[in-house]
Amino acid sequence: MPMKGRYPIRRTLEYLQKGDIIFKKKVKIMTVNYNTHGELGEGARKFVFFNIPQIQYKNPWVQIMMFKNMTPSPFLKFYLDDGEQVLVDVEGKDCKQISQHVKKILGKSDEVLHAEAQAEMQASHPANFGPKKYCLRECICEVAGQVPCPSTKPLPKEMTGKYRAKMAQSQD
Amino acid sequence: MSGRKIMVHATWAIGKVIGTKMQKTAKVRVTRLVLDPNLLKYYNKRKTYFVHDSLEQCTVGDIVLIKALSVTRSKHVKHELSEIVYKVGRVVDPLTGKSVAGTEFVEPLSDLVLEENISLSDKLTELNISAASDSPSVQTPTS
Repeated sequence: MPMKGRYPIRRTLEYLQKGDIIFKKKVKIMTVNYNTHGELGEGARKFVFFNIPQIQYKNPWVQIMMFKNMTPSPFLKFYLDDGEQVLVDVEGKDCKQISQHVKKILGKSDEVLHAEAQAEMQASHPANFGPKKYCLRECICEVAGQVPCPSTKPLPKEMTGKYRAKMAQSQD
Repeated sequence: MSGRKIMVHATWAIGKVIGTKMQKTAKVRVTRLVLDPNLLKYYNKRKTYFVHDSLEQCTVGDIVLIKALSVTRSKHVKHELSEIVYKVGRVVDPLTGKSVAGTEFVEPLSDLVLEENISLSDKLTELNISAASDSPSVQTPTS
């Protein structure tokens, strides 16, 4: 049974996660003014139809508002944190061009994203042991092939601390 | 307790004015897109804010930009009006700066020279054809 609606692929997690544009921290609001009719506004309509869900998924704290048929020509407007406003004319452009342009001016670049991913990886370094909140594993007993935890199965007598202490004492 | 510091989710927001019956305060509805977890589709979720507007310049239906205040004014008012983005009935197209009604301009654009009804005689005088030849150098080559 196929999914309902036109282009239901827009409603899949995989499609949403494929979103390209991650805004810089200072972008707070994005406003799209577009028209429902007209050849020149076709790119804007496609942008709203296909790309807006991806953008909102990747930027959950940016407020996105759509306005229909308010002005003759379509445009995008971004409101940044310091009060600055960015106006992007979108008339006659293709939806791919629009998203590339937006990514270029207000999106985090690939190097920044890469660096952030690296920083996150360092937080979950496999060589670190500690509380579950900060590290992957708490004790080496969790790893397959290592000595099992003494809480589940008692250690062999030679490995226990008191046997070793007794041996060391009897040797001295 | 007007000196309380606010912790508000968003410092900036855009919304539509839905009520101005309070003195120096506007009721603004802000819509955000929220993902429905089962349908995986975005829907508008609305939230109303009381916004301080000292000059009482908002009318119902304006689109306004609001900014979070650093100290809360009263129990409910935590934002103030930053600017009116689109005034209802008097929308100005940001690309051209002209007033706009829907998808049409209010006045027709003046930089485009539109065809007017010129009479035929006027057109002929423009062309400036005369019987006498203008340039003597134009001669047909004779073998």
